Amino acid sequence: MRKYFHIFKISFEEELAYKWNFILWRFRNVLQIFLTYFLWSTVYSDPTRQIFGYDRTEILTYVFGIMIVRALVLSAKAMSVGNDVASGDLSNYLVKPMNYFKYWMTRDIASKALNLIFASVEFAVLFIILKPPFFFQKDFGVILAFLVSIILAMLIYFLILFLLGSIPFWVPEIGWGSHFLVTVVIVEALSGSLFPINILPEVLQSIILATPFPYLIYFPVQVYLGNITGWALFGGLLIAISWVGVLWTFLNVVWQKGLKVYQSFGG
Amino acid sequence: MAKKLKKYLKIWWMMSVNSFSVVLGQKYALIIFLTGKIFRFSFFFLFIYFLLKGTGQIAGYSSDQIIFFFLTFNIIEVVTQFLFREVYKFRSMIIKGDFDLVLVKPVNSLFRVLMGGADIIDLITIPPLVILTVIYGISFHPALAEVLIYLALLMNGFLIATAFHITILAFAIITLEIDHAVMIYRDITSLGKFPVDIYKEPLKGLLTYLVPVGIMVGLPAKAIMGLITPVGIIIAVLIGVLSMFFALRFWNFALTKYTSASS
Repeated sequence: MRKYFHIFKISFEEELAYKWNFILWRFRNVLQIFLTYFLWSTVYSDPTRQIFGYDRTEILTYVFGIMIVRALVLSAKAMSVGNDVASGDLSNYLVKPMNYFKYWMTRDIASKALNLIFASVEFAVLFIILKPPFFFQKDFGVILAFLVSIILAMLIYFLILFLLGSIPFWVPEIGWGSHFLVTVVIVEALSGSLFPINILPEVLQSIILATPFPYLIYFPVQVYLGNITGWALFGGLLIAISWVGVLWTFLNVVWQKGLKVYQSFGG
Repeated sequence: MAKKLKKYLKIWWMMSVNSFSVVLGQKYALIIFLTGKIFRFSFFFLFIYFLLKGTGQIAGYSSDQIIFFFLTFNIIEVVTQFLFREVYKFRSMIIKGDFDLVLVKPVNSLFRVLMGGADIIDLITIPPLVILTVIYGISFHPALAEVLIYLALLMNGFLIATAFHITILAFAIITLEIDHAVMIYRDITSLGKFPVDIYKEPLKGLLTYLVPVGIMVGLPAKAIMGLITPVGIIIAVLIGVLSMFFALRFWNFALTKYTSASS
């Protein structure tokens, strides 16, 4: 446990060592929020307007909620697993007395902690500047369910990243390509980080909700807003847990097979 | 002048063929990136369609008008990425000192680092995008003059985008930081996916004059809808020319700061 605490500390310091890199990354997050915020603010310029089942307060809470949930779920260092596999650096970790999964999980937690701190500051600054109407959830049970959904989202994203990182075992040259397709394109589109999934027709919603992606952003924010309660909430959490189980099982199989074909080119 | 132009056209063609060969040699990567780009475009297109189906209009613009803004944004973005993909590789050139090899060659160094690696993946997406834009553009029944102004302002938009890329390159020489700078440029220009009228002041003013996304992307689209004044056109061209002038000055200044580290 102590060694992972040191990894956490080193990862945290490493992020801060490249200050500009980190600050510019956070600045990019703020820019992305601007488009979403102003778009929805214009759509709901009439405070009494209700479309897609949302009013102005709910939709702007959704946008601001994205900021925090993104910082917690989508900031992850495990993106580099594929590089380790493709470059042969994985060998350096395999011979060390530590668990490679736990190592990246610890690094992810450090990254999430730092991003959460910055996202909270950005949240506060934008809140003061834009003065949006905001829905503060007061129901303790809902907040608890929201936290559980966040933990499940973090696990799902971690497992997706590791699965993508396993692809270079077989096809080293598409490491970045697969990340682009899944984390930059598909996650951005289907996770709900641009818009709530339920503005789409029901058929599309059903298809998207059958994938793990909406459980990264859309589902936790909906839980916070109190739009998913009772059996629907229970069912949603169960689906998210199932995705964790499925991805974890699949990753174990893929990783074991990958290690068998791993040849440590350049390692 | 014509001889020089012919020479650079030939160099560009040779560099592009090399760049295309590299990408075509990695078929899986080509398929993945192409799929990703098409999916991203289609999904955003769908989002706008369903959003406008529910709201009717945004900031006074109809569904077709908003889609046309989005298509015009994509034309500028895809064409600049097709032409200027090499910019994304400039950091490693600076860090490793490989930029020395560019400087000693009898070719304009800015031309080499700006246009040295055209992207075939973006090239593939340009024709369908242009067809879609023409289809939507025709639906506004524009007069010939409006079409010509649209094309002229589109060129002006490319000029501003080029100025941005030159500034980013110059910035990279001075700070060694380019990856985030180019992505920040893309994040800022992506605010032009929708008309800048949706933003509130001071952001709207910033996007119109300081970082002229509105002029680069929004104004051409407005021209085809007949929503532009002669003064607007003059200001747009003036901003285009000035941004290019200052970008080139900045590039020349940055070259004097190049230290050839690691070489």
